[in-house]
Amino acid sequence: MSQPYQINTVRTPGRRAQTAAPRGGVRSRINIPFVVTCALLVVYGLVVVYSAVSADADYSFSRQIGGVVAGIVVMVLIARFDYRRLSDYTTVFLIINVVLILSPHLPVIGVTTMGATSWINVGIQLQPGEFAKITVILLDASIMARYNGRLDDPREYLKALGLMLVPFLCIMTQPDLGTGLVYLFIAAVALVVGGANRKFLLYTLAIGVGLVVLVFVVDEAIKGATGDYVLLKTYQRNRLLVFLDQSGSASTDQGYNLQQAKIAIGSGGLFGRGYLQGSQHTLGILPEAPTDFIFCVLAEEFGFMGALALLALYIALVVEGFQIAAASSDSFGMLVVMCIVGMWLFQILENIGMDCGLMPITGIPLPFMSYGSSFMVVNFALLGFMSSVWAHSKQNSRKAGYAVTR
Amino acid sequence: MVIAVIVGILVFVGLVAALVAVLVLRSRHDEQAGTRVGTQSAHSKTISTVGVSANGGGARVTSSESTSGKTSENVHSRFVAMGVLAAGVFGSLAVRLFDMQVLESQSYRTAADQNAYTTVYTPAPRGYIYDADGIAIVKNRSALTVLADADVIDNHDVMMRLSAVLGIPYNIIRQRVQDTSLGAQSQRIISSDARLRDVAFIQEHSDAFSGISVEQRATRTYPYGALAAHVVGYTGSVSETELANIPSNRNVELGDIVGKSGLESQYDNLLAGEHGERKVVADSSGAVVSIESETLPTRGSDIYLTIKAPVQYVAESALAELIAPNGVIGTGTGVAGAVVAMDVTDGSILTMASYPTYSPATFTGGISQDTWDLYSTASSYYPLLNRAIQGTYPAASTYKAFTGMAGLKYGFADTSRTWTCTGSWDGFGSGDVQKCWKEGGHGTIGFREAIVQSCDTVFYEIAKSFFYAGTSQGGTISDTALQEEIAKFGFGQQTGVDLTGEEAGRIPTPAWKAQYWADVPTEAVWRGGDMTNLVIGQGDVLVTPLQMAVAYGGIATGNLMKPHLLKEVRNANSPDKTAVSVSGEVVATPDVSADNLATVRDALHGVGSASSTITAAFTAQGLDVDDLACKTGTGEVSGKDDYAWFACYMPYDDPKYVVAVMIEQGGGGAAVASPVAAKVMGALFQNASGQLTDVGSVAGSNGQSVAYSGSSSSRSD
Repeated sequence: MSQPYQINTVRTPGRRAQTAAPRGGVRSRINIPFVVTCALLVVYGLVVVYSAVSADADYSFSRQIGGVVAGIVVMVLIARFDYRRLSDYTTVFLIINVVLILSPHLPVIGVTTMGATSWINVGIQLQPGEFAKITVILLDASIMARYNGRLDDPREYLKALGLMLVPFLCIMTQPDLGTGLVYLFIAAVALVVGGANRKFLLYTLAIGVGLVVLVFVVDEAIKGATGDYVLLKTYQRNRLLVFLDQSGSASTDQGYNLQQAKIAIGSGGLFGRGYLQGSQHTLGILPEAPTDFIFCVLAEEFGFMGALALLALYIALVVEGFQIAAASSDSFGMLVVMCIVGMWLFQILENIGMDCGLMPITGIPLPFMSYGSSFMVVNFALLGFMSSVWAHSKQNSRKAGYAVTR
Repeated sequence: MVIAVIVGILVFVGLVAALVAVLVLRSRHDEQAGTRVGTQSAHSKTISTVGVSANGGGARVTSSESTSGKTSENVHSRFVAMGVLAAGVFGSLAVRLFDMQVLESQSYRTAADQNAYTTVYTPAPRGYIYDADGIAIVKNRSALTVLADADVIDNHDVMMRLSAVLGIPYNIIRQRVQDTSLGAQSQRIISSDARLRDVAFIQEHSDAFSGISVEQRATRTYPYGALAAHVVGYTGSVSETELANIPSNRNVELGDIVGKSGLESQYDNLLAGEHGERKVVADSSGAVVSIESETLPTRGSDIYLTIKAPVQYVAESALAELIAPNGVIGTGTGVAGAVVAMDVTDGSILTMASYPTYSPATFTGGISQDTWDLYSTASSYYPLLNRAIQGTYPAASTYKAFTGMAGLKYGFADTSRTWTCTGSWDGFGSGDVQKCWKEGGHGTIGFREAIVQSCDTVFYEIAKSFFYAGTSQGGTISDTALQEEIAKFGFGQQTGVDLTGEEAGRIPTPAWKAQYWADVPTEAVWRGGDMTNLVIGQGDVLVTPLQMAVAYGGIATGNLMKPHLLKEVRNANSPDKTAVSVSGEVVATPDVSADNLATVRDALHGVGSASSTITAAFTAQGLDVDDLACKTGTGEVSGKDDYAWFACYMPYDDPKYVVAVMIEQGGGGAAVASPVAAKVMGALFQNASGQLTDVGSVAGSNGQSVAYSGSSSSRSD
């Protein structure tokens, strides 16, 4: 069974193999640029979070450090694990997802705050929907991996689509539209990268847009008949209205949040107001500074240059992700990595976009930046999967010489 | 700056380009290796995982080559799609951030500063008010102000302790802590004038009173109580309406103490100092985080009045002794009164007294509703009213100096002519007999004696002549010729004194009557009786004591002076230098002939010596009646006792002081008003010679009065 690899090695005696070989197995399996990028991101995030939490006693920086440490442990464990063992457990992921996402509805451990049943309390308060992002990615990737990058059969397409929609429907019972949108986006990435027929995708998109419009129309009709909106919550409606009319709605809470977020970003200027000097968040004017509006803290204190630095790190991460995906030894690995990258892209767009008024306001955190230890652990876990994919990619597997055989 | 931006953009564009480049390179690499990838993965799925690559691996499997090639192309395009998505995300975010943080940064920065900084104003002490010789009538004292931070509202224990120590009910303490009317960042005033021992207790136990601080703040104090209260006025917290109407050059903040009446109001812009400004950084809950900058308040300018405090004290004491000898109105003579003394040479008001008076201190820290209600009742005789400028009364016989002069001008009277007074007069033949005050009549009487004796009959004749000479009666002169002559001495117009709320009084005219009685046409007709009432200053005539003083000053000097209370303004920081000094201003020189003026002066000169009452009163003050020119008056008000008037100036040859006294329901002018005028005149001369310098404290109204039985004197001017 080692025969093909010997052949391959002979056939492609590239520079990489030769130079990498003397360094030894473990070291070569570490993607140095990837690690450096991630380390910079995490450190940058901690620096900003430190400033954000220093003005607010409700948050604890050591808890965030704890999240990072726990995350690193989780990441290392996952990285050492061969992700390919997971590719066939579609049904298991589906069950785990449903149980996780619906767990806040359970008695005793379920917690309802601010109208959403999104938390469970098992000693510490957790948001299962956040952890479910991992299993959603694995679920969607495992579904699409079966089709080997080509899905032209309508029945199969509908089946895949239906399975992918299950987590979304579950999370909407909480309800948590923000996380639900993340799930949808992961599914979309899986479908696109997984090779679903272009026509199917366009149809799905059209139907999706149609459904959203329908929700609004029906809701308006219900409001006309009963005087109350039923389908969309008032705050969701307000967020959308604030987004559509940014200047005129500063009097509402949502409008105020957006206004203060924009002031924080804009007042940062080119070089920022200095570390720990941002008046908007240190004075508590900016709401939810360490979590949803962490980017505003960064932009206020480090200015346009600091924001560009963050974007550059994100670009680097995305590029590394693409490389890992392209180098993966199977389509499951590629799909997992692309779904992870896609999810981050969506979160970056949505979080930074909402801060500067490009996107409607939702409670989507910014990867590696926002305060929250479970969010941090989830991101590290995803890094772990990326590492695992990298470690078991073609050239690394060859060098290791054991991976494919499990 | 610009370079940095360009570098930043270039770096970013470079990064995006690198991303695309990597994708392209990667896709080429994939194309090359695509066959293998496709095959491998295809097999790894279709065949069981074991031994996949053993069979496949090679590009030789032709059957799968086309499929795998297609698949890899497919995957390639999907990668490109993701790459475009990523480029789109980062591109749009970067453009947006560039717009906000570089192009529009300044406006956001302004908004952030507005969020962060709040200016809190600390009140400035007001300037002092001195009399002409530097006796302080209004000063400041430092009051111990107990202040609470906003978050004390969460501390029930501290509020309970405050309540116990200060003796203020808990609910009131709570209300005051919640009161944000001075601004959310301002400390709340719990007690504006706390006792020293309470404050000492709070400061000794500061750990039990967290968030509580004590400050010394200036508050108005009045060393002589109610002395000159109507002149200086009182202060109070600025009202919403006042705030809405402040001039642009003033900076008045909510919670400021401003002048509400009198000179405190008139010269508020001089007396009010510059606020201390504390620029603070406040967080979103309103708590002060840090103090950015602070300027200390500057005390307002001091003002010096023309008032002579010792004389003012004499005047107010005289009124009080006369009207309410034991503090209760109704137990003395008259129910209210006013005294005005003026320097005829420059219009300086040396004394302006009004009785009943009030203590401006009752307004310090806010007047209580009970006191306000008391001052608003008829039984208190309205102590807040400044009768010297706001009280309007029939001028009575004091008017004869002016109507007589009018008669002289038009030839309806002259010094050689005589009249016969029988005590009653029916010159119009209407059967409506009018009486002279002297029931038996004055007999045959000349013009001078008519003023000295105040014979009404002579003036009825003069009025009759004016009435029939009017054009409406077929005559040749104006119907209002008499009124015009009276108006030359400032009646019917404001004197222009530097106090707000001055009344203009009234000289009745046919036009005024027609308008006043517009709803009752039968009453609106101007009759001869109106003229005879007018000529003796009764009926619808209304004058203020100040107008009387100015008008008699006009007779004394031939000039109408603009009365004024402000002597000079001195900056609080350099009290030795006079910033503003007010000098006399002649408002008008009445167009009357010197002969007629001399005739009237001569007549007024004779009044004092002809009256034993007046002579006694002035002699008692060490004044020579020969130096006195004066006129009494007894105003008739239906349903009330007579209003006593006395107007005089001294010395006759070289007039210096004019004094006008009015006592509401006091009775006869000579008997009631002249002794008060004599005391004031005496005090003026004594003060001028340096003999009178003592000032005493004057009590404000207690609002008490009993039913007034009247002076029970008949009209006797």
